Amino acid sequence: MRNSDVVIIGGGIIGCSTAWQLAKKGKSVIILERNDVLSGAAGATDGVVGYHTKKPGQQMELAIQSIRMFDTLEEELGEPIEYGKCAGGMQPVEDKMQWDILSGIVEEQCRSGVDIRMISAEEARRIEPQLSENIYGALYSPTGGKINPLKLTLAYFHAAKRLGAEFIGRSEVTGFVIEDGVCKGVRTRDEEYRAGAVVNCCGAWAGKVAALAGLSLPIRPRKGQLAVTEPVGPFMKATIQCARYNVIKFRPETITDENILRYGSSLSIEQQEDGAMIIGGTREFADYEEENTFAAIDTMIKRAARFFPLLENVSVIRFFSGFRPYTPDGMPLLGPVSRLPGFYMAAGHEGDGIALSPVTGKLMAEYIADGKPTYNIDAFSPDRFLSEPSA
Amino acid sequence: MDDIIICRCREVTRSEIIAAIRDGAVTVDGVKRRTHAGMGLCQGKTCGRLIERLIAQETGINPAEIRPQKSRMPVRPVRISSFGGENSDAEQ
Repeated sequence: MRNSDVVIIGGGIIGCSTAWQLAKKGKSVIILERNDVLSGAAGATDGVVGYHTKKPGQQMELAIQSIRMFDTLEEELGEPIEYGKCAGGMQPVEDKMQWDILSGIVEEQCRSGVDIRMISAEEARRIEPQLSENIYGALYSPTGGKINPLKLTLAYFHAAKRLGAEFIGRSEVTGFVIEDGVCKGVRTRDEEYRAGAVVNCCGAWAGKVAALAGLSLPIRPRKGQLAVTEPVGPFMKATIQCARYNVIKFRPETITDENILRYGSSLSIEQQEDGAMIIGGTREFADYEEENTFAAIDTMIKRAARFFPLLENVSVIRFFSGFRPYTPDGMPLLGPVSRLPGFYMAAGHEGDGIALSPVTGKLMAEYIADGKPTYNIDAFSPDRFLSEPSA
Repeated sequence: MDDIIICRCREVTRSEIIAAIRDGAVTVDGVKRRTHAGMGLCQGKTCGRLIERLIAQETGINPAEIRPQKSRMPVRPVRISSFGGENSDAEQ
């Protein structure tokens, strides 16, 4: 049997960020990971750190807190994370219908004081000259940024380990230790880990792990397929999604084409520091089937060429996929579970996990170490999906 | 010896691979995500086996049990212009 103040389940970006913040507060932390750090969604994503993809209201407010933390993150973590502050975020719009939908969302988003605007096609092409001439206009968020998600996760991981956090890979949690209705620890195949607090940071697998503790939470895997190209010279600065990305995210009811809905097919594209372009953009429910499919990559690649015609000459070197943790209301589950004291959730960020990782780790550590976060996140409570305990 | 390049595409050395294994990598993908070895043009076709061998050496795990890199499309780089023509079934 092992003892620690906190057991974190999951070595992804959320688990590593939370471990680092807890270790900073002097807590002894054990991270249990089924495979290896970065083996889930954090290892299969682009690195958008933007405001304009956030749901207006609470989610946007949380993003503002989080993105502010990126300013000093590299220095605090002591490793390069390739933060491109104010690289900009853009969504080229194809027609008046998309323009009207996005304008409405932007108006709501701007109530939080962020700088997101609708701009003309000419202005968009001045900012990103490789953009197709065939666009109606664009959404632009000049203060959005980007990050290298692999390096950021590893930086959290290393910083946590330096402060004493222990990482145990290849250890799948098989059950929880629950005594008198209180969560006292977890079990793996060969060990029992006791702790005052257990945090479920299992991303798209968080629902399955919570079920082992008798909790039914509606977190489902949503598959995203991506492509990476050979490195090319400077091609674009901003992170770019087509407008359909936000339309699907916030107003899915306006989309009638079944294929678009099935694949959630929209374009997201960014250039990494090494010159490679990361192209993505599907959102599919396919259980945990990780293979790439021809239909999805065909759609995705054609949309990349539709918005950036010069990409036709660039080669894709690999397709890959990841599972984002989907929740019915598009918001993560953060904080304690009232009906199971000692059990905490930090999962369900879907496509916002990278950008929200700094603040998630900080607030979770405050909840666990201080009993209360410095910023109210009641709106994200896992309790919203759990009915009152029956016994 | 430590300066030998294992991944030629991304110029990753033997000592960098070993540091990744000591950091906890026990699979080729684990080494890849830490060092970017195998992320270049050839996608690990040359270095994948070398990395498997280094993991076995460093950790004592039986080489037969070390998971090779997950294989993914495409087998070799493919130009974006060669994906589905105008008339393919998927939506534009």
